[in-house]
Amino acid sequence: MIEIKDLHKSYKMGSNSLHVLKGINFKVEEGELVAIMGSSGSGKSTLLNILGMLDSADSGEYTLDGVPIKNLSETKAAQYRNKFLGFIFQSFNLINYKSALENVALPLYYQKVPRKERQEKAMKYLERVGLKPWADHLPSELSGGQKQRVAIARAMAGEPKVLLADEPTGALDSKTSYEVMDLIQKINDDGNTILVVTHEEDIAHMCKRIVHLKDGVIVEDKKIEQVRAEQYV
Amino acid sequence: MFDRDIWQEIFNTLKTNKLRTFLTGFSVGWAIFILVMLLASVNGMQNGFVSQFNDDATNSIFVRPGTTSKAYGGFEAGRRIQLKNEDLEYIKQSFPNDIEYISARYYANATARYKSETGSYSVHATHPDHQAIEKTLVVAGRYINEADVINKAKVAVIGRKVAEDLFKNEDPLGKFVEFNGLPFRVIGVFTDDGDDNAERRVYAPVSTYQRIYGNTNDINIIALTYNPTYDLTKALEFSERLEILMKRRHKIDPDDQAGLYVWNYAEAFDNISSFTAVLKGIGIGVGFLILIAGIVGIGNIMVFTIKERTKEIGVRKALGARPRQIVNLVLLESVFITAISGFVGLLFAWVILAAVGPMIQTPAFSNPSVNLSTVVTATIILIIAGVLAGLLPAMKAANVKPIVALSDK
Repeated sequence: MIEIKDLHKSYKMGSNSLHVLKGINFKVEEGELVAIMGSSGSGKSTLLNILGMLDSADSGEYTLDGVPIKNLSETKAAQYRNKFLGFIFQSFNLINYKSALENVALPLYYQKVPRKERQEKAMKYLERVGLKPWADHLPSELSGGQKQRVAIARAMAGEPKVLLADEPTGALDSKTSYEVMDLIQKINDDGNTILVVTHEEDIAHMCKRIVHLKDGVIVEDKKIEQVRAEQYV
Repeated sequence: MFDRDIWQEIFNTLKTNKLRTFLTGFSVGWAIFILVMLLASVNGMQNGFVSQFNDDATNSIFVRPGTTSKAYGGFEAGRRIQLKNEDLEYIKQSFPNDIEYISARYYANATARYKSETGSYSVHATHPDHQAIEKTLVVAGRYINEADVINKAKVAVIGRKVAEDLFKNEDPLGKFVEFNGLPFRVIGVFTDDGDDNAERRVYAPVSTYQRIYGNTNDINIIALTYNPTYDLTKALEFSERLEILMKRRHKIDPDDQAGLYVWNYAEAFDNISSFTAVLKGIGIGVGFLILIAGIVGIGNIMVFTIKERTKEIGVRKALGARPRQIVNLVLLESVFITAISGFVGLLFAWVILAAVGPMIQTPAFSNPSVNLSTVVTATIILIIAGVLAGLLPAMKAANVKPIVALSDK
């Protein structure tokens, strides 16, 4: 599903150049649930941004579902993001004047799905995350865990190839975190490919594979025995 | 553009920032209000001027004799020039293609009497063509015709005021009225847009008065209208030819300004037209300058809005919004605020003009109003203004980098 070869990225900081990614090689198969770990400054967010086509690499190859991702125009990148990727953010990033349902329907809007079909689909995904009764609520009327579930529904609404979650539990207490991880695990059980960036050990162990990043290189890449989040809920 | 979601978003941003939206919109609404009021005022001024002039045909020329101020052709200065019937015939034959109507005018004063009523009026003795030149409006009976001139008939067309003074409630048509003791039959009554004084006037056949006053063939003024298809240049060129010819005929120095006056309405009209055109230009200029301030205001607020919504725009881009869609969103919002507030200003100005305009009727200023073309122009200006105001902020929004917008660490 995802294939990365010798990826390099550096940022210019004034006269200095900060080499963030120093040759990443990495492959994700369909249906995997991968945790990307590392302390801050290890390059994990940069990697995620490149994977999410929000940033471009200096050199190296990136193939997503067989499509080479290179030299994209803004419009093309937007199209690919819309088609291939679903984003889950640490701070949820829901649009605060739109109801839960409208937030979930937003990626479909950019896919030019007709309004009625959009709402039906969005409702289906809201139901899946257990928030159908909250469809008309504004984000401000939801709890943190509920917000993240809306965000997950939104990420899935466009039926992307890969879900990218950037610290999805970073802003949640541990009980809610496990609820969210439980949901992510279940989505993964259905065959969705998910990448989770986290710096929390317990969250990482709820994935099926952990990739450790340190100073811009992968220092460890191992399959693990998945800890089910269900038991903590 | 008519996407429900886009409008929903626009209304939401406007609703959450009511005061800000109002203050921004006010500047544009005010600008349009001032622009429309300025244009309406210029319009009113123009109306005033035109109504002062439309008393006469706008293509008329008057040839008036004077007294020479220069010696020329063996004559000394100070010679009085007298126009005769022959001059009129001469002009007629010299410029058959240039002239539309031509008439002599012979001035006299008459003490009129009908039964016990008397009054003193000025008599203009003319040819039938004079009706078209002076735009005399005959409301009852008829004007002087060729037969009256040939027969030297003692007939008169009297002004509305004259009829009121002498005949009170009687119908004057066919009645005989005495002018300086001579009976004239009233054949028509006229009104005049010009003023009341014009309606205290009497028209009679030129030949009749020339006979009464000693069988002369003198005339005071030759009034004519030129071919109405002529533009200003052609009209001026014609009156110049006419002046040269008449001066030659009467042996007046071509440079002698006092000997003969050829007065062309087009010239005066042109001066007024260019005067009001300049005023209009100033009005538009000032209006636009004010409008620019309004546009800058809207642009300013849009930049601010974009800054506030950077994160939201980042999210949208992450979800697959194309730069164009972001630009459209911002532009539409900007055009919307501009257009709505502009229309409010326009409507406000229009209501005031509709209510107050018709009441203003002074000689130099009458019925200030805006016409449809002004409204259409203002609308186009507003939409362009909205696009201009939103363009920079929209580009800024489209260039928002999702990673920068979303980095919350």
